[in-house]
Amino acid sequence: MRRRLLAVLFLGASAVALLFLVLPVVAIFARVPPSRLLHQLSTPVVTDALVVSFKTTAIAQALILLFGTPLAYLVASRRFRGRALVVTLVELPLVLPPAVAGLGLLAAFGRMGLLGSTFGGLGLHISFTQTAVTLAVAFVASPLYIRTAIAAFEAVDPDLVAASRTLGAGSTRTFFRVVLPLAGNGLAAGEALAFARGLGEFGATIMFAGSLQGVTRTLPLAIYAEFSVNFDVALALGALLVAISAALLLTLRLILSWRPSPRTSPSLFAPST
Amino acid sequence: MRLAAVVLVAGLLISAAAARRESRPTVYAASSLTNVFPKIVAAKYSFAGSDTLAAQIRQGAPADVFASANMKLPQGLHDDKLCSKPVVFTRNALVVIVPTSNPAGIHSIYDLTKHGVKVVVAAPSVPVGAYTRKVLAELHLQAVLGNVVSEETDVREVLAKIALGEGDAGFVYRTDARTAPGKVTPIAIPARGQPNVRYGICVVAASSHKAGAHAFVSKVLGPRGQRILRRNGFLPRIAKR
Repeated sequence: MRRRLLAVLFLGASAVALLFLVLPVVAIFARVPPSRLLHQLSTPVVTDALVVSFKTTAIAQALILLFGTPLAYLVASRRFRGRALVVTLVELPLVLPPAVAGLGLLAAFGRMGLLGSTFGGLGLHISFTQTAVTLAVAFVASPLYIRTAIAAFEAVDPDLVAASRTLGAGSTRTFFRVVLPLAGNGLAAGEALAFARGLGEFGATIMFAGSLQGVTRTLPLAIYAEFSVNFDVALALGALLVAISAALLLTLRLILSWRPSPRTSPSLFAPST
Repeated sequence: MRLAAVVLVAGLLISAAAARRESRPTVYAASSLTNVFPKIVAAKYSFAGSDTLAAQIRQGAPADVFASANMKLPQGLHDDKLCSKPVVFTRNALVVIVPTSNPAGIHSIYDLTKHGVKVVVAAPSVPVGAYTRKVLAELHLQAVLGNVVSEETDVREVLAKIALGEGDAGFVYRTDARTAPGKVTPIAIPARGQPNVRYGICVVAASSHKAGAHAFVSKVLGPRGQRILRRNGFLPRIAKR
């Protein structure tokens, strides 16, 4: 009897939780008929925001991969003093409120900021440019990638690495033909997460980069701008972001369900020999 | 018995405190009123761009009073039977502000057409953004719009971007410029370019504290409220001829 009561309680609580999470997403689509949604998507406000968002996020992701992968590998493969501190520093932007991230970026790269005056002397002005948007996206999204990448590198069987080395492969060759392919799934999953987070970035961007259609106004910023102008356009933008995010999440599921290939070479990352 | 008395007294105190808080209306006010409204009446305030506040009220936000930096937005709500007929409660004027360091060497509104000047304005849907475009059209300075690097969501964001020195110049109300002394320098706009900036106030139709809301409006329109507004740089609600 008591067990059944517990089961009912669990079921009830689960239903409430699920409904709560699904309702706002469904409501976005329910407020406006799909035909109107599609019509709104062709307005310049939406297309401009889409271009700005994808351009800045893509560049930010390239930077994250380029600089984040070596950092994740070092942290995963070496034991050194202060390692825990490095991991904490990497993860900090993940839990920082976006407004704090925006303040920090202004204080560092703003015209009066720590590095801003140096850049200014070189004739480089970051605030109000797409560079500022890219930096904001990279700052908030990179921890998601680096964290996942550390875990992926740690999961690589050290025996395989050792075998590669004893068979005569140098450390560079081992990294590109053994470690990277084995960690590939995890890296791709981290990248998909970082991409999704980057697309949704709002607070740091509006503080650091401002908001100008076609220049710095990303999809989330456009939603905020359109909220008071044309609620339908805001809803259309919201629906678009829901669709993109769902697609990213689905990709992530697919990546994670792929079994890692038992073969370690050839790989996308293999340098031409 | 003693415990029961303590619980009863505590309960009464809590409900009294709750009741007092209940009588405070929720006021949705233009962000340019951030520094002055709390000096007039204690209330629950939500400051933001007037257009954002109007949109929130349209979506059913629990506002009792709406104080906007123009007449158009409250009049629009009134036309849709969402608030009472708005009345003008104060007026304001626009200025150009530059950071005290004045990196772009701006000395008049006509300098803003210079190539490469970073001008920060509010979005056209925000009242101050609409006034800014009116000023530029009036003075035949539409070229300035080509120098705009950001369209902010309320006047305080424009102020912040200039006070931080990120932008070279911005358009705000003269009352905003006064709240950041030492950080921004105001530059007057020629009188023939000045728009008639009228602030409208109305009681939200869906308000559940109509009495508190009307009391709030009376205090703002009353002699003390008007005195405080003028002392903070706002203009008398009726223009002198």
